[in-house]
Amino acid sequence: MSHSLLLPHQYKKIGWWLFVPSLLLGIFVTTNLYELPELNAHMFSLIPEFSQDKFARTIWFIDTNLTHTIVGVLFIISALMVGFSKEQNEDEYIARLRLSSLLWAVLFNYILLLLSFIFVYGFGFFTVMLYNMFTVLLLFIFRFRYLLYRSKTAFADEK
Amino acid sequence: MKNRIKVERAIHNLTQEELAKKVGVSRQTINAMEANKYVPSTVLALKVGRIFGKQVEEIFELDEGD
Repeated sequence: MSHSLLLPHQYKKIGWWLFVPSLLLGIFVTTNLYELPELNAHMFSLIPEFSQDKFARTIWFIDTNLTHTIVGVLFIISALMVGFSKEQNEDEYIARLRLSSLLWAVLFNYILLLLSFIFVYGFGFFTVMLYNMFTVLLLFIFRFRYLLYRSKTAFADEK
Repeated sequence: MKNRIKVERAIHNLTQEELAKKVGVSRQTINAMEANKYVPSTVLALKVGRIFGKQVEEIFELDEGD
């Protein structure tokens, strides 16, 4: 695996500091466990809305609640930092663990999505799609941390 | 692939950590190679050979399964 796409190791720490709160915020936002304050803003929207009036015109700017945007952006950036920063001792074996975790995560994620396609309908499927945007990264991080942990603790036959 | 890293390490009186430092890899990598869980790249195999002062084929050997 080419190391040129990985961030320097220092970004991992910053990533974790952002990742944990944004994961919690993400859970709050998606489950309504705790109501976050609304942050209304006038934003540029890449896909325009069409107004209802007779002189139908495209609206490129919309008024929206930015809370979801901020939480989503924070989560993606921090998860990328955690998942794609070099380990302190990044070498070819760690790179292989990284790659196999990525394969495992994509496979597992799509198996989950496939099952959801077959067994979840209506509004429930919307929820599945919402979570599915983030599960690849989550599964990858957890799998990679687990493999690293397991390889670090496997020292029974040191001598 | 079989290897004699553990034996060579004992002969040279090196821990996994010390060998890892000399070769410039993580301790996990040495451990995984010794446990036959990881087949090293040619570069890494050559480096291990150089540390022990031996030819690669004296340390690494093909298995029946290979």
